[in-house]
Amino acid sequence: MAMFSALNRALGARRSRLLLDNLTAYLFLAPAGLLILLFGIFPVAFAFFVSLHRWRRFPDHYVGLANYEKALGNLGYILFFWLALLAFAAAAMMAKRLLRTLRTSNDDRRFASLLAGLLCGYAALLAIDWLFKLIPVIMLIPRQVRGQNTSLALFMEKLGESFSSPAVAAAGNLLLGGLIVTALVIALVAWRFRSAQSAQLASAGGITTVLLISASFLLQLTVSETEAAIAAARETGESLPIWSQLVFISAGLALIAAAWLIFRRGIKTYENRRFAMLLVGGLMLAVGGYLLMAEAPAALAAADDDLLQGFWITIMYAMGTVPVQLSIGLLLAYLLFQPIRFRAFFRMVYFIPYITPFVATSIVFRIIFEAGKHAPANRIISLVGIEPQRWILERSTIGGLLGLPDFLAGPSLALIVIMIYSTWTYIGYDAVIFLAGLGNIPGELYEAARIDGASGWRIFRHITLPLLSPTVFFLSLVAIIGTFQAFTQIWILRTGAVGNRVNTASVYIFDELQNSNRYGYASSMAFVLFALILLMTLFQNRIMGRRVFYG
Amino acid sequence: MASAGEGSSAAAMQQPPLQGPRQRVSLGALGIYALLFAGVLIAVGPFLWMISASFMTISEVNLTRLLPENLLWENYATALRRANFLDIEIATDPQTGVLQSLSVSGYIWNSVRITLITVLGSLTVCIPAAYAFARMKFVGRDFIFALFLSTMMIPGIVMLIPHLLTVIWLGRLSESLFGPAGTWFNNWPALTIPFFASVFNIFLLRQFFIQIPNDLWEAARIDGAGHPRFLVSVVLPLSKAPIMTIVTLGFIGSWNALMWPLLVTINDEWRPIAVGLSNFVTADTPGDLNLQMAASVITVVPILILYFVAQKQFTEGIAQTGIRG
Repeated sequence: MAMFSALNRALGARRSRLLLDNLTAYLFLAPAGLLILLFGIFPVAFAFFVSLHRWRRFPDHYVGLANYEKALGNLGYILFFWLALLAFAAAAMMAKRLLRTLRTSNDDRRFASLLAGLLCGYAALLAIDWLFKLIPVIMLIPRQVRGQNTSLALFMEKLGESFSSPAVAAAGNLLLGGLIVTALVIALVAWRFRSAQSAQLASAGGITTVLLISASFLLQLTVSETEAAIAAARETGESLPIWSQLVFISAGLALIAAAWLIFRRGIKTYENRRFAMLLVGGLMLAVGGYLLMAEAPAALAAADDDLLQGFWITIMYAMGTVPVQLSIGLLLAYLLFQPIRFRAFFRMVYFIPYITPFVATSIVFRIIFEAGKHAPANRIISLVGIEPQRWILERSTIGGLLGLPDFLAGPSLALIVIMIYSTWTYIGYDAVIFLAGLGNIPGELYEAARIDGASGWRIFRHITLPLLSPTVFFLSLVAIIGTFQAFTQIWILRTGAVGNRVNTASVYIFDELQNSNRYGYASSMAFVLFALILLMTLFQNRIMGRRVFYG
Repeated sequence: MASAGEGSSAAAMQQPPLQGPRQRVSLGALGIYALLFAGVLIAVGPFLWMISASFMTISEVNLTRLLPENLLWENYATALRRANFLDIEIATDPQTGVLQSLSVSGYIWNSVRITLITVLGSLTVCIPAAYAFARMKFVGRDFIFALFLSTMMIPGIVMLIPHLLTVIWLGRLSESLFGPAGTWFNNWPALTIPFFASVFNIFLLRQFFIQIPNDLWEAARIDGAGHPRFLVSVVLPLSKAPIMTIVTLGFIGSWNALMWPLLVTINDEWRPIAVGLSNFVTADTPGDLNLQMAASVITVVPILILYFVAQKQFTEGIAQTGIRG
């Protein structure tokens, strides 16, 4: 209380109240904030950092983009170019917004706020730089104190040594200076030069700085790594056409994207122009597709085949499960929505596969789909006269078993079992969410349609489905991300006989981590997967989000 | 993956609509019930056979009998022992019969301990944070909240390696503080502490805290209560429902966890039940299928009991957020 009254005297009642409120809030937030920083935000930067190193349990040395090259071949470099371009585009967007804000205001104090923002961004980058110099040093401490009599004094001594090692200390001093200058400027701005747009200008300035400098860093890293790779290839007398691949693949993708835009516009325009537009679009699609087909295999030539197969398996897995589980889920929900008795009972029962531990239910499926002649699944298919299959032990593909040509191979029978399992677990979940969505559709719409004489199917097609589209969108997104993250069912249902024919990308990454201890390489692959998931989410948001009808 | 549209669906779920479209049902009521019961059979069929097979002899399982000839209850005792699920040693003084020592071990016990620590720790950390986001004003609140939410987008596989390295490092630090017992790796901290600050829990609680009428806060403040007092004596007693949801979802989350515990446990001292069951099954292939089924039943039963007791929390929690534990 004495402190409070002292504060009151110094700042005035209102300001001291505000300060205390802020402090209480931060105190409430502190434990969660600290843990989320440590286990939620920092790990992303840390994983990226690890992926740039050779790192087996302990940091070894910096290898640049070599891990990405090992994972994706030349496409690894190309991806980083795109990432750098994306960062530049984001920086340009922020800068544009910043300039607009600057132009609309004629308050002279606006530049002071901008300066504070720029300094904040710069200080953040200094902090990242310092952190990245510090991490490899302090990550060695567990090895240094291992086996010795670990005492706090020893640990702290090692920690002190790490902080004062030359590179870290230099970056640390720079950071300290930057922080002091930034704090002073912020205090000055808050005290003297505050304007209505201060916060907006400062945050826009800070973000622009961070984006611009990271984009330049990414571009510089990519160019130098690419040059180094080309030079290294030249030493051995080979040529590495990364630049031409970059140009052709980017052009191919750009053409396809442009063709898509033209198609979309073309469908809406007048009859006489529509044909020309569709023709141009078709031509662009053909050229773009040809460029991709011609260049992508070469760019992926040096890629990790197991990883590519993992991605392909993930895609097959998603295509085989998501549409099936969504349609059956919708059918069940629609049936449940009819005026029936025991609705609560049905809903409860359908939910059971989803909430029970995946490990246990996977084991049941492992036994149901055993290879023996008397195994339950073989018993069931023998009822319709199909010969017993080897199921979870079968690495041959569906196409192969049916005698189809190679390009129709499809998933292995073992993967089909995993797909059946996933569909079985998620149907009930989908049905329950669909049921909730159906309940949100106003009954008057059905009444009106019936008065107009619409049939059951037309009502479903033109009222239920469009109004249910947000739910479909949400569930398909969750389901696709779920297939990318699927682990438990594959871990249990895969057998030695099947080898890597059921390993999705994330299972392969986990294997690399656990069996080979290649932390750097596993991190780089995880990042590629992350980028893919993010891209897919954005893509789905744009394509499907546009068609979703939110009422 | 909580989307804005889901909140309203959850509200609809609490009161199931009594009538759907009142159109003439073309399939006929009988057809509908037939399809729905077929669905029930597919959904619970594997479970029924699992229970039935857990009482069979090995050859009965191998021949896919539907029902066992004799109920072999000893399968459960054998599975508990062989899979190292639960081992209770009670030592009593032979003369007086006084309890001398009681030691419990096994995967079930481990999972129970891990679950308790995780849920309690998570509540302690998340409740104040959610309260701050819901009912306090501070600089950067919306930005910090958005930052927290964005971490939910990051796939677990990206976090695996940094988490492992962080846990090993912090473990060494705590070892130097508390001695060998303080290690994090292959010990409870690695299995619980990374899950304390769950953004999902914070989000769920915040949505609830926001709805508490402001009049209550005004009244409490007039009576001289500050934020901590208001949180403990007004907000928490009102929030039993979301807390129950967090507890149930946290329970399944810990009970099912496989990938992370595979990475950070190296022996049975803290290994949770999912890893134990997975090891038991993959280690004894093709092995004693009846015992595998019994072990699976033992793993499933606690979750099923919880589901039947707290069904409302399950379905509502999942429908509100689209996430399972």
